[in-house]
Amino acid sequence: MKIIKAVYDFLVGDMIILVGMALALLLLTLLQTIEALHSYTGAVLVVITLLVLGITLRRELVGRK
Amino acid sequence: MVWAVAIASFLASAVEFVEAFTIVLVVGVTINWRSAIAGSIAAAVSLAAIIAVFGTAIVYYVPIDLLRLIVGFILILFGMKWLKKAILRYSGLKALHDEEAIFEETMAEMRARGEVTTRILPSAVALAFKAVLLEGMEVAFIVITFGSSAAAQGSGIASAAIGATVAGLLVLLVGALVRSPLKQVPENTLKFVVGIMLTTFGTFWTVEGLHGSWPFADAFLLVLAAIYLLASFAFITWLKGQQRPALAQQTAK
Repeated sequence: MKIIKAVYDFLVGDMIILVGMALALLLLTLLQTIEALHSYTGAVLVVITLLVLGITLRRELVGRK
Repeated sequence: MVWAVAIASFLASAVEFVEAFTIVLVVGVTINWRSAIAGSIAAAVSLAAIIAVFGTAIVYYVPIDLLRLIVGFILILFGMKWLKKAILRYSGLKALHDEEAIFEETMAEMRARGEVTTRILPSAVALAFKAVLLEGMEVAFIVITFGSSAAAQGSGIASAAIGATVAGLLVLLVGALVRSPLKQVPENTLKFVVGIMLTTFGTFWTVEGLHGSWPFADAFLLVLAAIYLLASFAFITWLKGQQRPALAQQTAK
């Protein structure tokens, strides 16, 4: 458990980022099965990345208020 | 040489080596330089071995598409971690990393132990080793991930390793001249830039790992970096703006 926590803290240390981006990867993998949506993979990933970043920053702001 | 990889590795390594240098400086100043140097060299050799073994294994045994997907995803996570902290520091929600304070604190601890000698002291060697190894692990991680994903374009790992080595030598040189904590290094700016680069490359390689493509191929990296940079500035402005009403309310109370 300690090792998993150490790796988690080393790599990301933020559950919102980890879960958000894992869901993003899942969504993108599903998008790959739809031919017409292939070209939007990059745009979807960028939007989700910024969304996740915004959510975790908001949580920090609310936590410090 | 893959210049983007070398530059990203250089910047990330510079930040980590500055942090490691602070602890090594404490050991050198309060105990002795033999112990500090012995611990640092042992850690540097360990890191080089880790990079050589894992970097080579990853590049040779993992298919490039799978490698790009996994490494890209990990780089996004890592980059977002760095970027988030840098944004919080710029917006004042998190304190800046104070090398001088860390130096004073660690020095006080070591003086309290009363260990002053000219011979190589195992505990001092261990402290220097731990500091360089821990900070260096992030360097090793960036060298391996960046280097292995860029392997298809040429000497990826070598470029990343060269960038890291140059950063290490530069920090050592400046440190040897200054002989005090390197507080003038714009750490948060470096972390911010590295966070942008890691997130950019991570995004780029994740999509390539999923067999996607980008308009203008590699040139789109600049567009991605610009998007993340502008978004980060927007987040900083927003966070600073959100704090002002809260501060005003507190003052009014």
